[in-house]
Amino acid sequence: MWLLPLFGLIAGALVGSTISFQVPPIYVKYMSVALLASLDSVLGGIRSILDKHFDGAVLLSGFFANALLAALLAYLGDLLGVDLYYAAVFAFGVRLFQNLASIRHHILTKFRKRREELR
Amino acid sequence: MRKYRWQAPLTLVFIVLGIFLSLQYQSQNLIGSDLSMQRTENLIAMVRGLSEKRQKLALEIVDLNMHFNSQQNSYLDESKLAENLISDMNKMSFLTGSTTLNGAGLIITIGQSMPILYIDIIDIVNELWAAGAEAITINEVRINGQSVIFYTEDDYSMYITINNTRLEFPVVIKALGEPNNLEKGLTLPGGIIDTLALFKAYPILEKSNSLTMPPVFNQPSHIFLSEYKPPEQTAATEPAKTP
Repeated sequence: MWLLPLFGLIAGALVGSTISFQVPPIYVKYMSVALLASLDSVLGGIRSILDKHFDGAVLLSGFFANALLAALLAYLGDLLGVDLYYAAVFAFGVRLFQNLASIRHHILTKFRKRREELR
Repeated sequence: MRKYRWQAPLTLVFIVLGIFLSLQYQSQNLIGSDLSMQRTENLIAMVRGLSEKRQKLALEIVDLNMHFNSQQNSYLDESKLAENLISDMNKMSFLTGSTTLNGAGLIITIGQSMPILYIDIIDIVNELWAAGAEAITINEVRINGQSVIFYTEDDYSMYITINNTRLEFPVVIKALGEPNNLEKGLTLPGGIIDTLALFKAYPILEKSNSLTMPPVFNQPSHIFLSEYKPPEQTAATEPAKTP
């Protein structure tokens, strides 16, 4: 059941590597924040699947809106002389690790339950 | 089927994430190899390192040339030897500053209104030497190993002095060498021109294909100099063993 998204990720990476489009070097910084935000959304989505309250619309809107807003805020911060880039990295970084920890807990609990059932 | 209704949106998101990751990886690789995206401090360190390396290599070329010449001269006749000696003497006179020189170079003009200290003049001269200048004059005073750049003051103000002579404004510094290299040496990020701009001093840089430089006014004297020759060591001069 996880194979389809995994294939999607691999297919996306392959498509990305064949695209000749290059992000202009000055925008790479904003792209990295957008990537962090979208990674956070994806992990949040996986977490919600494991918690059994997944909503596709929330995932899709969060994925694109978070990425766009994070990049936009970082850009605005640069224009105004406030380093919002670091704020975004910190905020999404913390959320990302929280999501990862939650996913790990979920998998461990599931694994232990299954082992106890087998006994 | 309803059980796995998360698969479609998650797959879509994973595809986009894959494209994002791939593009970002490529861009990051591009930045790593792009000089224009490096940090200023790193670039300065790179330039310094490279110019030091270049100087070492230039010295090596000079050494090898001298070796080559000495080898060649051993096969030449007396007239050729004299010719080579004269040519070497001419080169030496360029270096000691005893002749008038002409060539391409850079002119740096510092106006009256610019707040310049003697240390800034020293910094400019040092940067010019580092950028490959072969001869430098400040207000037509040739700079050599014995030149003194300092300051003096009277009751009213402070003056910069070159060889204990008061420096009049506008200060015109001329340097012979590759004009582009000399300009880049001064204008590299974080360099002397950037530093002076912080103090509202903006020297005017002008490249020239024909600069004339006067010789050194007071030629240095070498009365007490003599070459050091290490004493020859023989087996008999071994240190006595202590009991």
